[in-house]
Amino acid sequence: MAQIDLAQTSVREANERIRALGEAGEDIEVLNPDAKHHIGVGLVVPEGADVTLRVRGSAGYFCGGLSDGARIEVERNVGWGLGDNVYNGTLVVGGNAGAIPGVAIRGAEIVIKGNMGSRAGQVMKAGTLCCLGNANFMAGYMMYGGRIIILGDSGERVGEDMTHGDIYVAGKVQSLGSDAVMGDIAGEELDDIRAFLERHEIPFTGTFQKVVNAGKRLRYATSERQMRSIPFMSFSGASDYWNPKVQEDLYIKSQIGRYRVRGYGGARELPHTADLAFRSAIDPERIDPEVVSRVAMATEIGGLNGANPLKLSMPVMIAPMSYGALSASTKQAIGMASTLSGIAENTGEGGMSDAQRGAAKQLIFQMLGGRLGWNIHDMRRADGLEIYISQGAKPGFGGQLMAKKVTKELARIRGIPEGIDLRSPSRHPDILGADDLVIKVEELREATGYRLPVSVKLGAGRVRDDIKIATKDGFDFIELDGMQGSTGAGSAEVAEYVGIPTIAAIVEAIDALEEIGRRQDIQIVLMGGLRDGIDAVKALCLGADAVAFGTSAIIAGGCIACMQCHVGQCVTGIATQDPEHEQRYKPSLEAQNIHRFLESVRWQIAAITAALGHDDVRKLSRADLVALTPETAAITRLPLEPERRDGSETIAMTAG
Amino acid sequence: MPVPNGVQSAMSDVYSLDRIDVPDVPPDYEDDTRDQHYVPAPCQVACPIGTDAPSYIAYIWEEKYPEAFEAITATNPFSSICGRVCDAPCEPACRRAQADGPILIRNLKRFVMDKVGHRYDPPPFAVTREESVAIVGAGPAGLTAAHELSQAGFKVEVHEMSDRPGGMMVWGIPAFRLPPGIIQEDIDRLTKRCPGLTIRYNSALGRDVSLAALKERHDAVLLTIGAWWGKPMGIPGEEDPRVVDGVGWLREINGGARPEMPETVVVVGGGDVAMDACRAALRLPGCKTVKVVYRRGPEEIPARKIELEGAIEEGIEFVYNTLQTAVVPAGNGIALKCLRTEAGEPDPEDGRRRPVAVEGSEHLIECGLVIAAVGQTAICEELEGLGMMRPDRVAAEFDSMRTTDPEVFAAGDGAFGGSTIVMAMHHGQRAAYYVQAFLDGREDPVPYRTPYRTRRVPVAQDLMWERFPQQHPPFHGVGETPVEFPEIESTYDDETAKAEAARCYRCDAETGSADYAVHHREDIFSMARTNPIDQRKNRAMLERRLEQRPDPFPAGRPATFDDLVFLPANLSRLVIDPYREACRVDVALGGRLDLERPFFVTGFDAEAAEVRAAVAAGLAESACGYIGRRPIGAGVEWLQLVTPDGEAPSAEAAALLYPLGPEGALPSAQRMSSDQLLGYVVVDPEQLAAAVPAALEAGHDMLLLDGSGDIAGRWPELAGPPDLTLLREAIATLRRLGREEEIDLIWFGGARSGTDAAKAIAMGCVAVAYGVPAGMAAGGEMVEGPDGVSLAFSSSFSDEDRRHAIVNLLKAHAGEASMMARCTGKTNLQNLEPEDMRAITLASAEATGIVLTGRH
Repeated sequence: MAQIDLAQTSVREANERIRALGEAGEDIEVLNPDAKHHIGVGLVVPEGADVTLRVRGSAGYFCGGLSDGARIEVERNVGWGLGDNVYNGTLVVGGNAGAIPGVAIRGAEIVIKGNMGSRAGQVMKAGTLCCLGNANFMAGYMMYGGRIIILGDSGERVGEDMTHGDIYVAGKVQSLGSDAVMGDIAGEELDDIRAFLERHEIPFTGTFQKVVNAGKRLRYATSERQMRSIPFMSFSGASDYWNPKVQEDLYIKSQIGRYRVRGYGGARELPHTADLAFRSAIDPERIDPEVVSRVAMATEIGGLNGANPLKLSMPVMIAPMSYGALSASTKQAIGMASTLSGIAENTGEGGMSDAQRGAAKQLIFQMLGGRLGWNIHDMRRADGLEIYISQGAKPGFGGQLMAKKVTKELARIRGIPEGIDLRSPSRHPDILGADDLVIKVEELREATGYRLPVSVKLGAGRVRDDIKIATKDGFDFIELDGMQGSTGAGSAEVAEYVGIPTIAAIVEAIDALEEIGRRQDIQIVLMGGLRDGIDAVKALCLGADAVAFGTSAIIAGGCIACMQCHVGQCVTGIATQDPEHEQRYKPSLEAQNIHRFLESVRWQIAAITAALGHDDVRKLSRADLVALTPETAAITRLPLEPERRDGSETIAMTAG
Repeated sequence: MPVPNGVQSAMSDVYSLDRIDVPDVPPDYEDDTRDQHYVPAPCQVACPIGTDAPSYIAYIWEEKYPEAFEAITATNPFSSICGRVCDAPCEPACRRAQADGPILIRNLKRFVMDKVGHRYDPPPFAVTREESVAIVGAGPAGLTAAHELSQAGFKVEVHEMSDRPGGMMVWGIPAFRLPPGIIQEDIDRLTKRCPGLTIRYNSALGRDVSLAALKERHDAVLLTIGAWWGKPMGIPGEEDPRVVDGVGWLREINGGARPEMPETVVVVGGGDVAMDACRAALRLPGCKTVKVVYRRGPEEIPARKIELEGAIEEGIEFVYNTLQTAVVPAGNGIALKCLRTEAGEPDPEDGRRRPVAVEGSEHLIECGLVIAAVGQTAICEELEGLGMMRPDRVAAEFDSMRTTDPEVFAAGDGAFGGSTIVMAMHHGQRAAYYVQAFLDGREDPVPYRTPYRTRRVPVAQDLMWERFPQQHPPFHGVGETPVEFPEIESTYDDETAKAEAARCYRCDAETGSADYAVHHREDIFSMARTNPIDQRKNRAMLERRLEQRPDPFPAGRPATFDDLVFLPANLSRLVIDPYREACRVDVALGGRLDLERPFFVTGFDAEAAEVRAAVAAGLAESACGYIGRRPIGAGVEWLQLVTPDGEAPSAEAAALLYPLGPEGALPSAQRMSSDQLLGYVVVDPEQLAAAVPAALEAGHDMLLLDGSGDIAGRWPELAGPPDLTLLREAIATLRRLGREEEIDLIWFGGARSGTDAAKAIAMGCVAVAYGVPAGMAAGGEMVEGPDGVSLAFSSSFSDEDRRHAIVNLLKAHAGEASMMARCTGKTNLQNLEPEDMRAITLASAEATGIVLTGRH
């Protein structure tokens, strides 16, 4: 048995050795006198091998997190996040466990011999979490599956907002959580529990009560009547106060008794890069035919702290969009296009499919609070990691996927029950503040050997503060998403009225970084309503290191902007999981279309950069821009030059 | 620019440079391409005459058939005919074609024309010009030109060599596809519409009238002589009388002949003439088998898919990849000697792969008659004598439609080769434009472009639009008595027409997203269909994208709740899960009146008793109070508006609210019972300086801020956005006095949602009164009356509907308000603060005192 003494070795070095030993099938003993964090994180044992990692003393946060197949024994106590996201394997803790033990596990067996902290088994998908002592409050919080066995008392609000799975309590059920009820226990269930206890040599002969989900909150009671969009100008800009959209909203809400849901982002006119102009006149007729090869556009993102950066052929990537919101075929087409154009694609929430991984040469793997589809194996085959805090279209909300889209296959990949109206948690179980985030980022780095860039996705709100925190938390780059960012389904009111416009977000972000003198320490990828090379260059001028396109890439691939993504019956086969609708989508054809769109973006970026007198996109700056409207001048502090508006052509404003 | 003839690829045309750099339309043509909220749909662009298909499709869904008829016939004098037999290039261009099949636009046109085509006669065109134009040939090109020139006010004389109008539409298309009555419908409409039009039948150029005579009698001549004669196959043996040319043979059949057929008929060719010929032959007496011999494969056959499928369904046998080499005698009949072919190199002209004969594959196809449908040609001895043919068509330039003679123009199949009816109509319109330019003395006119119009019909609100499959009308094939040529299929009924119309994407219509407006969406589509090395398109697109949008927030635009946004919690604060975590919305008004939700309803004082009763039931169920001059019903807390002309202050009311008098005069406000709440109603920011201290001194519980200016009036909020400075000033006044916590502010005016309410609360109110939203929920519809806009309550709402709607509205708005609070990280709605918001316009920042986004 190999021995590692953490008094002598750094955790990073120790974990490297643990992973290598695990790979080789060797048992390991770790002496951990200072209860360090992240012991055994990312330990993956080859199938069929038997590896035991013994921790002498106690362990800190995320012990055994993101591991698969190992047996991990901790002599004494563990900190929070025990066995975070473990795929398979056995974890045995001799003493007590802190908060969220067994968070997001997908199949492990965890035994805690003492008591366990709050929110045990939060968002777990499968496996067994067993506590010989008492549980603290909200055990089984938002669990999607698996079982929790508590031999002591349940703690308050047990089973709070659980979706599925079973919680067995031998002691007192102190109080039931929201949407939880007492259930009946079948004989086989009890036999199975007893077998589990015997397997782990836990002597117990008492009886159990069972807590299950009541199922009252898994589906909306009444469905929202589907309406095709009202033209935006009738509820935007200088439209009537009691316009048709207001009337429609009132009508629908008075039928369903709740907020409306739709796809896409902020739909009204908002201050936008569209209201900025370039300082020099650009004459398209004078663009050099070879301009694409004459302007340096290749951009590396994510390498500032030593990780392998994403290598973009231009400062553009694909915005995070999930397989779930989008069909598998669509994700495949986008992946192919990203490869053809030499940029990076992003999984969005909900996991990585083989097809997607195969199609995209560079792929960022996104992690949300529900940990849907998040696992060590896909992390290891990703090219970048991203912690989702929020998104521009619905900051404050987790993903929302209507039952229609939660198919068997999708449920499998996400580890959740089929056919629920999936409303992902708004927060990460283990990120309750900036300090937690530091430890979380470290965990992800440990799990992947510090090889992958780690980014954070932020919907634009209090950008000035959030950016400073993100920078201090050690991220490699920030994906900053203004309120014009789109979604497959979200509250219409939130899309419209929560968050700040993309143009304000980048200004605040750069201001914040300059205030703390750390502009060079982090990169910003800006997104949210950016649509083409013109928008991209303006974003770069304002300080973004790169931009990401979501909706425009989808439109290039055939989306007609009907904004009915939430219904799940997408007419073009894009935002649907219905096989009949999905077959309408032709991935290889649309991949070519998206690729041509991206190449057109490339040409535009090069052409404008050159026309502004630069040979490198990194030379673009605020000095290249002016503001056309008082709003954008005030927001960006760029000079107001309304006369630079192209006034040669008056466009009739005819309401349709 | 559409190619003048042959098969065109609709998709490549639709996304040509013209879509990015839209050419000017000639003067005096109605065209909407400069409309910021309209882009011609692919179907419209693919249509050579620019038919506004999206509009008429939408009208069909709305069951507005006369309007649909107008949209169809505006550019198409042969709409009834086209409803049956148009080549419909719109359909392959339809964006839904790639999904689950295109909208069957032709069937929809047929539906409208069958439904109302015979009923409507558009007003006649007056003759306003001295000049006259002669047109040779009454086919689709000639008559369309005649229609256009009549519309422009010219007298027109058409010379037709046969005894009826319609050209190939009449002589080329069998009655089972196009019954004679349909043709007559269009001709009647055309002739009624064009009183200055004369058609001279049996008047052939060169036989009955000379070009010189026409030039002498008229100011310009347009030659639309058609391509009436079949081309020979050019193989030995084709002079056999049992070999006939397709167009000639069809002409006889369509003239009424029903000759006895041999048992087996072979048709050579794969175009529309071949399809009509083979299907006609099958219907004639004696015929048992019809074989179509085509030199390429099934993928390349140029016949329209629907005709091909019809032929297959009727039992026609298709012999693909077979090239005829000779006609030889065989037994009692003849045989077509053939070779098999394989696909060779692509043809540089049309990209289709050339058929290459396979050596040693000779074989015979025996039959009794060969119908050769391998192309058409124009023949005119007179023009040939004048040197105006080249040699099988009239020599003419497509860019000007001029012939070698400056007074003579040419169009249609006779000038540019065999094409479709709709393309011939385009030629007619084009030629009419150039003829008119010539007659107007314009030497170098702006190049012709098909104009595109939209009728701006709203998108069909059909729940099934994404799911409806293509709707096919019943297909009858040859029918029970084939020789009578009964129609092959039926017209849609109302229901199927509506379902098919619902399927339309409405590519022309403005989207619901400002960032992805229809113009921008189409630009992205064009970018996605631009070859990266196509500099011209790249440049044109850049030019287009550099155009600026108008300022969405022009000076004078009022400040509204819309321009305030909430700042979500992210890292600096913990977000409260809006899906599942609690957020309190209750509040105790004046510390005494407990409200489950911070809402009141107002505005129903003058409405009918049954409306009031139903609303009261909803309010009672929602535990929501009512603000009004009189109580609304039992079980509802009443906050009485004490107006000089209204009821006396009541001890029954939960609160008494006294509007200020004229010029802010403070009314004497008294409680009628000790636990009653008391307050003023203020409408003008300038009145606050006096009213606020007075209210505080008098120990008032609340101040109702009336941003509408007239809470006791009838739906005052409908007049426009509320005055938000009232709220800003109320808070400022209280803050100056250092007594913000001592009196509760209630907001009334223009709150339309829970979000608006949350904004008012974030600015410092504790509760919000809904007027119009409750009115609309209860079935009130906006109507223009003598005193301005008001709400009228329709009887289509039952009492139960109204009650239910009020309950739901309040519930939904509470949900929305608390969602805003939770997004900002608050667990109590009342904890929202001004600092939780940003303004997105300068006007709203000014009016509310909320910081502009991006600033701090």
